[in-house]
Amino acid sequence: MSHAWVVEGVESDLDQFHLGPVNLTLAPGNAVAVLGASGAGKTTLLRTIAGFLRLRKGRILRDGVDISALLPEERSLGYVPQGLGLFPHRTVEGNVRYPMEIRDRPGAKERTQELLDQFRLRPLAHRYPARLSGGEQQRVALARALAADPGLIIWDEPWQGLDVLARYELGLALHELRQSERVPMVVVTHDPTLAFSVADSFVVLRGGQVREQCDAATLLRAPADPFAARFVGFENVFDRDALSAGAPGSLRAYLLDRAGSEGVAFASPHLGPMPSDTGRWEGKVRSARPNPHGFTVELLADGLVIAVRIPPPMTPPLPALGESVRFDVEHATLQVLGGPHP
Amino acid sequence: MGESIPPVSLGAGPPPPSPAPRRLRTGPLWLALQVVLSGSLLLLFVVPIVALFASAPFHDLVSASRSADVRAALWLTFFSSGMAVLAAVVFGIPMGYLLARRTFPGRSILESLVALPVVVPHLLVGLGLFFLVIPGTPLYRFTQAIGFPVYDTIWGVVLVMVFVSAPYTVLASELSFRAVDARVLEAARSLGAGPATAFLTVTLPLALRGIVAGLLLSWARAVSEIGGLLVLAYAVYPAGPYNGPVTSTISVYIYNLFQNGNLGDAAAVSSLFLLIAFALFVLVRIGERSGWLPWRRGELAP
Repeated sequence: MSHAWVVEGVESDLDQFHLGPVNLTLAPGNAVAVLGASGAGKTTLLRTIAGFLRLRKGRILRDGVDISALLPEERSLGYVPQGLGLFPHRTVEGNVRYPMEIRDRPGAKERTQELLDQFRLRPLAHRYPARLSGGEQQRVALARALAADPGLIIWDEPWQGLDVLARYELGLALHELRQSERVPMVVVTHDPTLAFSVADSFVVLRGGQVREQCDAATLLRAPADPFAARFVGFENVFDRDALSAGAPGSLRAYLLDRAGSEGVAFASPHLGPMPSDTGRWEGKVRSARPNPHGFTVELLADGLVIAVRIPPPMTPPLPALGESVRFDVEHATLQVLGGPHP
Repeated sequence: MGESIPPVSLGAGPPPPSPAPRRLRTGPLWLALQVVLSGSLLLLFVVPIVALFASAPFHDLVSASRSADVRAALWLTFFSSGMAVLAAVVFGIPMGYLLARRTFPGRSILESLVALPVVVPHLLVGLGLFFLVIPGTPLYRFTQAIGFPVYDTIWGVVLVMVFVSAPYTVLASELSFRAVDARVLEAARSLGAGPATAFLTVTLPLALRGIVAGLLLSWARAVSEIGGLLVLAYAVYPAGPYNGPVTSTISVYIYNLFQNGNLGDAAAVSSLFLLIAFALFVLVRIGERSGWLPWRRGELAP
């Protein structure tokens, strides 16, 4: 089912936590990824859309019709909570059939078999969820959500606890689903690669507030929020507090001058030739750790920890621990976070 | 440059191993301690029962099972404990659900009240009920009038049994309902299940195992009750569903045999009752394991 969804100025409360206002627009086939640190309100937003938290303000429209007053079971959503929420006492087949069974849908049996085939679950049909791998459980959750014929899929951390291959497969499945069924999606995720593979727009939450809302290209090019900057791969993100109290002419003062209201971010700086004697700033090597993309060297400079990425091949050779090196923060890579500082 | 920190070495081996300090291997000792301690407790459980069976020759057991008196006492015990369990289902499970899902003022007081029958000596319970329903009290006249006389009848037995046994079901269902993952319930709701459907298809099946465990405890507590019965329903006269000879529950019956010095008979009837109760427990366990009974599905099955 392809529907258009509008979340309009939605606010809700969970105990002392206040969410919103949040605005979202989802055309059929659109997917939005909700980003944010733990406690930012991501799950609260999903549960609000799903109808488990009362709206304090705003409304939710499906194809222009206000559904804010509908109960969760009346919203025709495929909500997959964190941990998937599979029924432990039902087999794979029983889980997938559930939405049709409780509504007495004709053709439930055939549709169940179809979904089991589509998600390669037929051989597992009679197993219970506890006996499935993480990836298999995810496929069951997706098949079950589709069995409800949802107008919107809401998924809280689809890739949680999956290995690399299973993540890739699930990302592919979600992508295909968007293409073929045109079901819009809202996903919460901590995985940047997969978020970009599935979503075409992004919402960044912090403390229940929307800090940034943009399309993928904008998020990549010019993140405005510290979390978003880290999410898209800026190695060095500093808020204003971390930069204050720098002596005139120091690295801190240089960065503070260029920081927005939320701080400043910059990609890996450039290291001079080794042993380095060029570059405007000096830092001492604090650590050097391998990662899938080469090495990350941490420099301590003016009390700040600066991460430098050194991709393979390692020329020049890695600096030694404790060694002083010079580096440049290229003005072009500096990203102002937040609005201009008053 | 360099200072005291060693330079990063790529691809170099780990530092040479330093000899690990010798440690006392406490593993086997620890295991032995556990075996000895739990073994002692197990002996305490098993030895008296073995002694009981040892003092009841098999032919005594057979003749006890043929005695009309014993059969009446057994029937009374199982029937009234069954009624007590039914009451626990009807009244106890909803109360457990209420306590698990709702917060309201005075909830902790209610929880303490529910646990009260577990901690109060049951003789006192019988005494309390006794004062309420002995001949001459308004409640006596009322229960007579509506056809549920309590004093020295099967209804009195059921009443005492419910009092002492229902808390186990309330507490077990409260814990079981509380243990059902709220996210699984939200998934069910979002997939189209209304509150009632979600309760019947998700909450109840998932909580069932714990509830059944509570019901089994309730039943065990009900059949083993004696204190309250000694006061309120020592002798059970025909009334309601019971129309046999004057009898008593099996616990009171055995107590009587013992008091009158019929030690052999007491051992025989006790053994017979134990066999039946044990058989029932084993049947339930087999039912669970094999999946006939639904409440452990998904846990034991493939």
